Amino acid sequence: MTTEIAKNTSFDALLRNNPQLNDPATVQGIDDLIGKLAPLLQGQRLHNLVDLLSAVSDVVDMADDAMIQKLMKGYENVVTGAFNISNLVNYAAAQAGAEDEPPTVWQSLRRLNRDADARRGVAMTLAMLSQLGRQAREGAAVLPDD
Amino acid sequence: MNIQDIVVVGGGIGGTMTANNLVAKLLPEIRAGKARVSLISNSPWHYYKPAFMYVAFGMFYKNELRRRLHTLLRPEVKLLLDEVEGFDFKDSRLRLASGKDHRYDYLVVSTGCIPSPERIPGLKEAGDHFYQHDPAMQLYHKLRTIEKGRIFIGVTFPQTPNVPHQCGIAPMETTLMLDDFLRKRGVRDQIEIVYTYPTVSQLLRNCLFLQRPVGEVLPTVFESKGIKHQRGFTLSRVDAEAKVAYSEEGESTEFAILMQTPPIRAVDAVLNSGISQAPNNEGWLPTDRESLQLEGFANVFVMGDTVDLPISKAGGSCHNQSPVICDNIAGLMRVGNTVAAYDGKVQAIAQMGLDAGMPLWYDYDSDVIPTPATKIGGLMRKAFNRGVYWSVARGVV
Repeated sequence: MTTEIAKNTSFDALLRNNPQLNDPATVQGIDDLIGKLAPLLQGQRLHNLVDLLSAVSDVVDMADDAMIQKLMKGYENVVTGAFNISNLVNYAAAQAGAEDEPPTVWQSLRRLNRDADARRGVAMTLAMLSQLGRQAREGAAVLPDD
Repeated sequence: MNIQDIVVVGGGIGGTMTANNLVAKLLPEIRAGKARVSLISNSPWHYYKPAFMYVAFGMFYKNELRRRLHTLLRPEVKLLLDEVEGFDFKDSRLRLASGKDHRYDYLVVSTGCIPSPERIPGLKEAGDHFYQHDPAMQLYHKLRTIEKGRIFIGVTFPQTPNVPHQCGIAPMETTLMLDDFLRKRGVRDQIEIVYTYPTVSQLLRNCLFLQRPVGEVLPTVFESKGIKHQRGFTLSRVDAEAKVAYSEEGESTEFAILMQTPPIRAVDAVLNSGISQAPNNEGWLPTDRESLQLEGFANVFVMGDTVDLPISKAGGSCHNQSPVICDNIAGLMRVGNTVAAYDGKVQAIAQMGLDAGMPLWYDYDSDVIPTPATKIGGLMRKAFNRGVYWSVARGVV
């Protein structure tokens, strides 16, 4: 194709000489496409798509290793969080649902007392609540004007 | 109640994703207490092994390419940190390094392969490769300091007929990365890069790649970058002191760095199982090319590097084998027969230099159709390396 284009000295010559462009199926396809594109061109709606392509191309040009690393770190954090939380909820729901009679509050407390991992889970939840509380306090604080 | 024990051996990409995929496939049986999935791994870490080649160019740190294995697994997977020392396929039992025996109803063998440069005289002493972390780091220190001389690149195929070396495209990828790396360092003009390929590469002879369409475009790619290429160099021995590589074809060449894809073999427990018919004590397990069952043992499945199939020993193969194995184990449990067939599909994004990439796929019937390497392809590969890989291991993608 590159050689074909190189042989043609003008757009007219390219249209005349390029065998694929002179294939009746290609001409019919282009004719159909022009029918679809004409209203978009006339209403200047195609301009937006060209602008969008240009913006996407700019993003590709600007993207570098550092940007990809930051974006994918965020991706991994989100996916890992969703993976862990959905697994934990489903696993815990299946365990809790499998018991014919749910444990009493006292049985639950006794189990909590014996299970170090459950106590660690409570500690983690408390630590999260503590951070939520700190953020709420700092967010609500009235700051002095500059 | 008779609980079906499904055991996956190997905590690499194949074993990890398959343990997760099995849980997803067999969740009704697992919830009902009729099945359980265990993963046996000899390491608490999961390494993104294909990324070791980036270590050789200073692009990845060790901590960036590993995760704690248990964080990649669904909670229904029971993780056993132990080493399988013996496979007793006839009695459906595993002998573990801890001294325990582990019975199974279904087994998935995903134990990978081991680079074995010691199988070529002098290669371990004088050669370099990037298929493990420490050798890749050693290679990095050489590549970042070399000022002149010849970097000689070679590939060793297994002697088992029609079985490829580890990650078929890696030698080509690293050759192009090396060219970019040395240009960035400003020393490329003083360093000669010579890419070689052995006389026999699977079913092909005297090629530059293990698939003909890619092999045919490589000379143009290499010549545009001033990379020399040579067919018919099968490394037979290395004079470590003189830094000379000798070929089975009778040639010899001096080198400053010998970057050689080394011989590979199965892990000891697979080698010692006595099931493999592979020559040269390579240990590949005879695997049904469609069902992925170990021949003669309907309840054992083999995947990844351990198979004797003409398919790349790479994560992209595992990605397509894993669903087939999960479907077939579910089929055996639920309807008494296997239901899925592997078509040999492998997909990847080849790293074509430090920044460009080329998405590719192939299967038993079709070779890779090479396309121009692009920056978008390179960004896709980087995104995969830095994030999507871990979703694949978790069975999310």
